[in-house]
Amino acid sequence: MNGYSMNDLRRWSGVRVAITGGTSGLGLALVRELRARGAEVALIARHREQVERMASETGAHGIVGDMSNKEDIHRIAMQILGRLGGLDVLVNSASSLGPVPLALLADTECEDFELALATNVLGPFRLTRSLLGALAATARERGSAVVLNVSSDAAVNAYATWGAYGASKAALAHLTRIWNEEMIGEGVRFLNVDPGDMDTSLHALAVPDADRSTLKRPEEAAREMADVIAGALFERRAVESSASDMRLGPGLRRDDESGRRRDDCPRVIPGERSEVRDPICDMRLGPGLRRDDETVR
Amino acid sequence: MIVAGQALQRAPGAKLLVVDDRGRIAHAPRSAMVDSLRRGDLVIANDAATLPASLHGVHEPTRAHIEIRLAARRSLAVDDVKEFLAIVFGNGDFRTRTEDRPPPPRLASGDRLALGPLRAIVQCVLGHPRLITLRFEGSPAAIWQGLAHHGRPIQYAHMATLLELWDVWTPIAGAPVAFEPPSASFALDWRTLAAMRRRGIVFATLTHTAGISSTGDSELDALLPFDEPYSIPERTLRAVMRTRAQRGRVVAVGTTVVRALEDSAAHDGKLRAGAGVATLRIGESTRLKIVDAILTGTHPPGTSHYALLRAFVDEPTLCRVTRELDAHAYRTHEFGDSMLVERSARQFHATCGAEALTAA
Repeated sequence: MNGYSMNDLRRWSGVRVAITGGTSGLGLALVRELRARGAEVALIARHREQVERMASETGAHGIVGDMSNKEDIHRIAMQILGRLGGLDVLVNSASSLGPVPLALLADTECEDFELALATNVLGPFRLTRSLLGALAATARERGSAVVLNVSSDAAVNAYATWGAYGASKAALAHLTRIWNEEMIGEGVRFLNVDPGDMDTSLHALAVPDADRSTLKRPEEAAREMADVIAGALFERRAVESSASDMRLGPGLRRDDESGRRRDDCPRVIPGERSEVRDPICDMRLGPGLRRDDETVR
Repeated sequence: MIVAGQALQRAPGAKLLVVDDRGRIAHAPRSAMVDSLRRGDLVIANDAATLPASLHGVHEPTRAHIEIRLAARRSLAVDDVKEFLAIVFGNGDFRTRTEDRPPPPRLASGDRLALGPLRAIVQCVLGHPRLITLRFEGSPAAIWQGLAHHGRPIQYAHMATLLELWDVWTPIAGAPVAFEPPSASFALDWRTLAAMRRRGIVFATLTHTAGISSTGDSELDALLPFDEPYSIPERTLRAVMRTRAQRGRVVAVGTTVVRALEDSAAHDGKLRAGAGVATLRIGESTRLKIVDAILTGTHPPGTSHYALLRAFVDEPTLCRVTRELDAHAYRTHEFGDSMLVERSARQFHATCGAEALTAA
């Protein structure tokens, strides 16, 4: 019906995922993708009406909250944990562009920069921190938990007028690497994923005259991202579990720009997780990379 | 002892009093807590997050302002959020000691309560004018949302400021099922957990709906603790079995962990994984079957937590502990200093003997 095998559905069944920015763009596409795979999903966004509509349409749990507002973070975290009963995967997808239309840094109001930092850096930091106990508990009981932070090539390249967004995404990306370094011993894996330029409302705000036909569909990025999550989540569970019906996903390859394949990554040895160091947490899902592993082989 | 009135979970300079199995007392900085543990020990903490269980609102029949404190629930099931045991206070806030708060209006079953966006009905008044069961209207989603936006953590008159959720969630907080914070876990930061792992000290968790600790009403307090649902993961059970086989110590972080583990093993001395409801009151006459030591806050004589420590050590030892806490200006209550108390070797041997019989 939805193109996923029984095995896919079985392994995603009971996986609890929270996705911020889940009512539009990549966030919404990921909600749909993971619901189709059988995961239980909570979507978080600011506008009540959209949250209710998208929750009802996708069968996800809808939670209203603003990632840039400190007061909202524990309210969001409590509803996520209360309604899902725990958490396997957190996806920080909610993003702010900063000033719109995009502005030179010299023309950027401090308040616009602050909003970009609050939404893109502080919000994900606070939400992650408030959910870390639940994620670590999941990792202890199920073998793994994943936090995926949505990154951008603007975090790496110095594009004029993308200052507030680019600097905040660079901060988020580095935060992710340090989280990963620090929490790998707890079994919580942190990933930066750059989905590539997508045809979303955020992109349209930033580049109103873009040729949409050259842009990636968010659905395609969501499929790739779901595969990345599956790789990080089920690889460890497969290794730690004695269940024979778990298989490592259909050949997902990670584009970490060094050509290193996932198969090259250090494996988790049960009972020795604290010794494992896996520094690779950055991924670009650039144009051209597909789920089909033939593409990157 | 000095009351800790600042909402600082890990105050710099926090102290740890250690009582070993021979009743000897030592002092250490709490940040060096891991030095008081041994390779092969198993540390078990309660990973419950704290609910915003205090709800202000109106008793509709009289239009009187009230405060509801949710105090217990039947199970840990995700959707089991409609019915709660609750304690009702009259108008007022946390700056008034609970002892001095006015009683609520006369409550009767069927009374409607308006609690911000939440609507509830009094189901039963349970033999005390302040103790009720209530039922929220609406879907679990609407109840969670209402609690998140209108509820506040239960407040304490000894605190200088209003407590927010982030003040009362421990670093390891997961499922939001506790009514007051399992505050012994405030001492656990991620650096400590990593240090434990490096030293071969195993960390595990269970979930226990830490109930309300006092109501300010002696009649009600005599009923505490209420029945408290808990859940013990399979992995935690396996860790306990491995630890005992290897003669390591099981160290409970907080009284709720003692209560869950000992309740689970109360029937035949064997721990079980899964859900249970703790009904056991632990004290002087309790023979501990699972727990070897407790990491806990400092508790003055006369409190239920102090009484629980009698399961670990005898009264003369606890008197010495209290004198030491006073002499060294330990801070008490939720955000205070800590103690690591190992059960006395004498009691331990007595229990071991009983257990061997059970196992045979």
